[in-house]
Amino acid sequence: MTPASPTTGPVVAGQGLTRWFDTDRAVDSVDLTVASGEIHALVGLNGAGKTTLMKILLGMLRPDSGAAWLFGEPVDTAGPHVWSRVGHLLETPFCYGELTPTENVVAAARLHGMNTRAARRRAAEMISQLTLDRWADRRSRVLSLGNRQRLGLACALVHRPQVLILDEPTNGLDPMGVLELRGMLLSRSHHAGVAVLVSSHHLDEVARIADRITVMHRGVVIGNLDPGGVDLEHRFFDMVYTAEKEGPWTQQSPPRP
Amino acid sequence: MDAAIATEALKLRRSPVARTGWLTVVVGVPALTAALTAAARAGGDSQLAVKAAAMLTGTGLVGYLGIVGQVTTVAMLVTTGIVTAWCFGREFVDGTVAGLFAATVSRGRIAAAKFVVLLIWSLTACAATVLVALLAGVLLGLGPPSGDAWRRAGMDFAAGTLMAALALPLAWVASARQGYLPAVAALLLIVVATQIITALGAGGWFPYAAPALWLGMGGPEAAATIGPTQLLLAIPVSAVGIWATTTWWRRAQLT
Repeated sequence: MTPASPTTGPVVAGQGLTRWFDTDRAVDSVDLTVASGEIHALVGLNGAGKTTLMKILLGMLRPDSGAAWLFGEPVDTAGPHVWSRVGHLLETPFCYGELTPTENVVAAARLHGMNTRAARRRAAEMISQLTLDRWADRRSRVLSLGNRQRLGLACALVHRPQVLILDEPTNGLDPMGVLELRGMLLSRSHHAGVAVLVSSHHLDEVARIADRITVMHRGVVIGNLDPGGVDLEHRFFDMVYTAEKEGPWTQQSPPRP
Repeated sequence: MDAAIATEALKLRRSPVARTGWLTVVVGVPALTAALTAAARAGGDSQLAVKAAAMLTGTGLVGYLGIVGQVTTVAMLVTTGIVTAWCFGREFVDGTVAGLFAATVSRGRIAAAKFVVLLIWSLTACAATVLVALLAGVLLGLGPPSGDAWRRAGMDFAAGTLMAALALPLAWVASARQGYLPAVAALLLIVVATQIITALGAGGWFPYAAPALWLGMGGPEAAATIGPTQLLLAIPVSAVGIWATTTWWRRAQLT
């Protein structure tokens, strides 16, 4: 795989990505791409390395080896023109309890390069789209877990990013929220050309929206699943059990003390 | 307004920690000093009256403002320290720090914006404290503010501001240890160390002790030994703390 070209290649790319945490190899020699207009799903058991991989792709963690690119530019030197086109939701939503949902979304938009007027207009749209109107002007600390997640999604989407990296975005969402999220991701990806990298535990959910499914186990990419195939869950567990059996998973020494 | 400063200003304005801290120093310091002054003026041989009288560095409004300054230095260090700890540590505790990564506004700029709003917070708190205390002194019947009283109020403000600046390096502790409690622990350590170093007689060259000694906390003889060099040591200490913190944020990883 070669680094992405700004115009033709994948908009998200990682090559040989490896990251250790002490003696634990959280991500091991992972290659991954996401093209414009594609929804690429990462699936795996807890601790498989999905979140660590996403953090590396977002420049939140530096890999011990390998490199990552966004829009063809190395992540570690990416500037505002790159980050203004990237939206993400990792672990905890962007939700400051002392601010209202509207203020949170405006803050997220401004931190992604929007001016105040545009940020306010888009925040109102996102609050409405994610059905947070009822709480728009109340302190965010009163929001339920699901509504905090909606708020986090609003903050990730408000600046119309061309790349979306979402870690377990359906966490805490009710069935209606899951449907809305699915619709938004499909619409943005297939109509607006947004590249989406999404992790999920819900295989049936992933199968409904993903163009490509990559399976991770113990930090390693162990294969791909066909989103259109049948009995996805069964094939996923087969893949994981086979990988687990074939091992060995003994950790080698980390590259640095 | 700059996006980082606007965002940090909004968070600080809405923060119960920052609001409570501001009110505590602005209302608490004048109330405490007014009570101490009233006790000293009442005379008698109670322990409170004797201790309060010992804090007076002069008579009338000028003497009262001497107590105000001494209390203000401690209050500004503690409240600015707590608000700094919260401002830099809260995102690691509530998990929102991920939202500050992968953004158009760099993390170094966000850290700088936090310092800007903290500086404004502490300057307004210190100025309001001295003005409210001055007003309280006039209402206590200590007389109208003379030139000496205004000069003393200016010294109180300067010393309080230096102590607030000295609290800013706690931002590095909150950042590097990823939470506000380690910074609060460091603040307590500074307060204890200041007491010990002052008791050992070396406070004049310890930046955290010098402003209060200058205002007379160690008596007139100790105050006379404090010059501009000792007071201005606060500036490099604060600057190194700010530089270390912004550098840490620029290089930070989300482990």
